Amino acid sequence: MTETISSKVLIEWIGILVIFSIISAIGNVIGYHYPFMESLVGMLILCGISLAGLIIETYTPWDIPSILYISILGLLLALPISPVSDFIIYYTTRVELISLTTVLLAYAGISMGKDLGDFKKVGVKGVVVTFFVIFGTYVGSALIAQFVLMYTGMI
Amino acid sequence: MNDGLTNINIRDILNYKLHITVLVIFLISTYIGVIRFSLFDTITIIILPLVFSLFLSLFAYTSKRIEWIQKKESQTATLIFTVIICPLIAKLAIVSGANIHLLYQTGPLLILEELGDILCVLVAMPIAILLGFRRKSVGMASSICREPQMAVIINRYGADSEEMKGLMIVYSIGIVLGTVFMSLIVNIMSYLLPLHPYAYAIACAIGSTSMNVAGLSALCVLYPDISNQLMAFSAIANLISVLLSVYIFMFILLPLAERIYSFLEGYQ
Repeated sequence: MTETISSKVLIEWIGILVIFSIISAIGNVIGYHYPFMESLVGMLILCGISLAGLIIETYTPWDIPSILYISILGLLLALPISPVSDFIIYYTTRVELISLTTVLLAYAGISMGKDLGDFKKVGVKGVVVTFFVIFGTYVGSALIAQFVLMYTGMI
Repeated sequence: MNDGLTNINIRDILNYKLHITVLVIFLISTYIGVIRFSLFDTITIIILPLVFSLFLSLFAYTSKRIEWIQKKESQTATLIFTVIICPLIAKLAIVSGANIHLLYQTGPLLILEELGDILCVLVAMPIAILLGFRRKSVGMASSICREPQMAVIINRYGADSEEMKGLMIVYSIGIVLGTVFMSLIVNIMSYLLPLHPYAYAIACAIGSTSMNVAGLSALCVLYPDISNQLMAFSAIANLISVLLSVYIFMFILLPLAERIYSFLEGYQ
């Protein structure tokens, strides 16, 4: 079932993305010495792709998250055969991933603040699960990588 | 997608005090930068600016002095957070598109490495359920719990769901302790289970930049002669991980976690 996006949601998305672009661009100037306008253009490209993904998600009937559309859109636009790849790659490399993550986590911390009470309760148990999540992912990937490297004769 | 957050309106989003606070936190964190120090000789501990950012903003919420960051702002931040993950995904997608030649030069078999994450679900899911996390287990133990998986969980279960709370537990602990755990695990496993260092370099592309760097640094300290090859393998594996982790998570890991959940909860 398709649904229409209310103008309220659309304005919210655009508002958030514009604010995020400006904050990130300022940080990229101060922290990584990229020209402000180049970082801003890079951010606006990323936000344009995001907005397109969010809108596609709302208008398609399948239960597929927007990040999938965003991933595919970003990938296709940056492929060597894409006519806009040079433009897109140039400006988006003016945006450091680490700076985006740093802004994301600033909002994440404020967002987590209201759930801090719940968080304290899980304490040590949460640490145990986290350890085994990392351990399992690492060892599982290493075992398969070992097999693949041996199979392809690389080692 | 934002069902639980409909009470947020555009005026909340344009609350400049919230954004200026974030900007200040961001600038302080960026100014501090990457801190690295060694524990004993082989364990390199790396702290990225995002760690400072998380702690400073948590501090801003709890601090009595910063009275303009309250529950309402926290709810607004949850909505903002849901939307601004998207540009991060776009950035990663563009990186993988630009480096597509690396993907086919190294052979498509390396893609199989992503399936190693299944071991994470098999090991961590029963532990999480045993420790009594119930529905939170699905968010906690179905993946390494980074941004791409977070976006899937938010999409499927909602930003205020039990699954999302579970994911945020591992996400936050991962940010704080992930790099330390990675350094330790990389060091210890090289002795306990001596696979080829290339295999471990590929495995370091665990899906988190900070953990990847921390693990790889430890590996390079262990095998300094081949550190360039280790870095190359890890970078390629990281690209594959960026490209595929969402799909592997959605179509393999999450369904598997749900299966294990209904199987084990059935027993209790």
